[in-house]
Amino acid sequence: MHEASIALSLIDVASEVLRENGAARASALTVRVGQWSSVVPEALTAAFPTCAQGTPLEGARLSVVTVPGVGECPVHGRVTLDVTRGLRCPECGAPTPTLLAGDELELDEIELAEPDLEDV
Amino acid sequence: MTVANPRIVTVRQNILKANDHTAAENRAAFAAAGVRTINLASSPGAGKTALLERTLRDLAGQVSMAVAVGDLATENDAARLRQHGAQAEQIVTGTICHLDAAMVQAVLPRFDLAGLEVLFLENVGNLVCPSSYDLGEAARAVLISTTEGEDKPLKYPTMFNTADVVVITKMDLADAVGFDRDLCRENIDRARPGVPVIELSSRSGAGLDAWFAFVRGERA
Repeated sequence: MHEASIALSLIDVASEVLRENGAARASALTVRVGQWSSVVPEALTAAFPTCAQGTPLEGARLSVVTVPGVGECPVHGRVTLDVTRGLRCPECGAPTPTLLAGDELELDEIELAEPDLEDV
Repeated sequence: MTVANPRIVTVRQNILKANDHTAAENRAAFAAAGVRTINLASSPGAGKTALLERTLRDLAGQVSMAVAVGDLATENDAARLRQHGAQAEQIVTGTICHLDAAMVQAVLPRFDLAGLEVLFLENVGNLVCPSSYDLGEAARAVLISTTEGEDKPLKYPTMFNTADVVVITKMDLADAVGFDRDLCRENIDRARPGVPVIELSSRSGAGLDAWFAFVRGERA
């Protein structure tokens, strides 16, 4: 259970993006979590609102996109891995030692909430 | 009156980039000092500290070694390790279930890195969270003991998937607990195809030569 630590890091990265864009707050953000990243999406979603209190991310809606593991089988090419079977081709069981996708832990998008200048 | 006018910004940034940045600084410091760093991870009680005690004792006078050890509470492990003549510094993580690069960086000034050949980073006993955090180590050793079940590599694939070597500990108890060696090795190979595996017993000393070769950077 390190999703609170992950949520705090996420808030740091997101706050930096807000500063760079001159935005005071975010209304929503999307993160990509690989199935092999050892981060549980539900735990991250649960930890985020508390961690975001008092930050520019407070009240922002968090969406988590789960990214499946992808390996390269010598016979079947790019294959989607089954996390319970390890780094093996789901078709033939050949070892697929390199993870081409599925270890992501990244902030994908932020929806900025900023005052509409025409209405100020 | 202000009206929200949402604007979507594509970011695509690693959430742990601050940790990765600090890990890179650690790695550069280790390289500059010529010290090999080994991150040890396992579930609690797999025998990380016992293996380090044996290593410090057996390689004393041959390899200059020190340990930074992480636990949620107590200085017990550092005290145990110091009995073997090596410097050991405790990192008390509080409620944090893993070491991160900043915790390691904070403790580095206590060591004379240039005078060391090997620095062990004994992680918090946990097979989940430490896998996400690069500490700047040269190599990551993941331990599994014969007493904890052959399917650990399948239950915690990410930890095993980031291992440079997998060490099976407590081999002296293998027969007593009905440890299925072939099944365990098969499961390790599923989680991390081709990873070197070392079987040893810190108590009897069996298999330690292969571990010591890894510690020296001679294999794996």
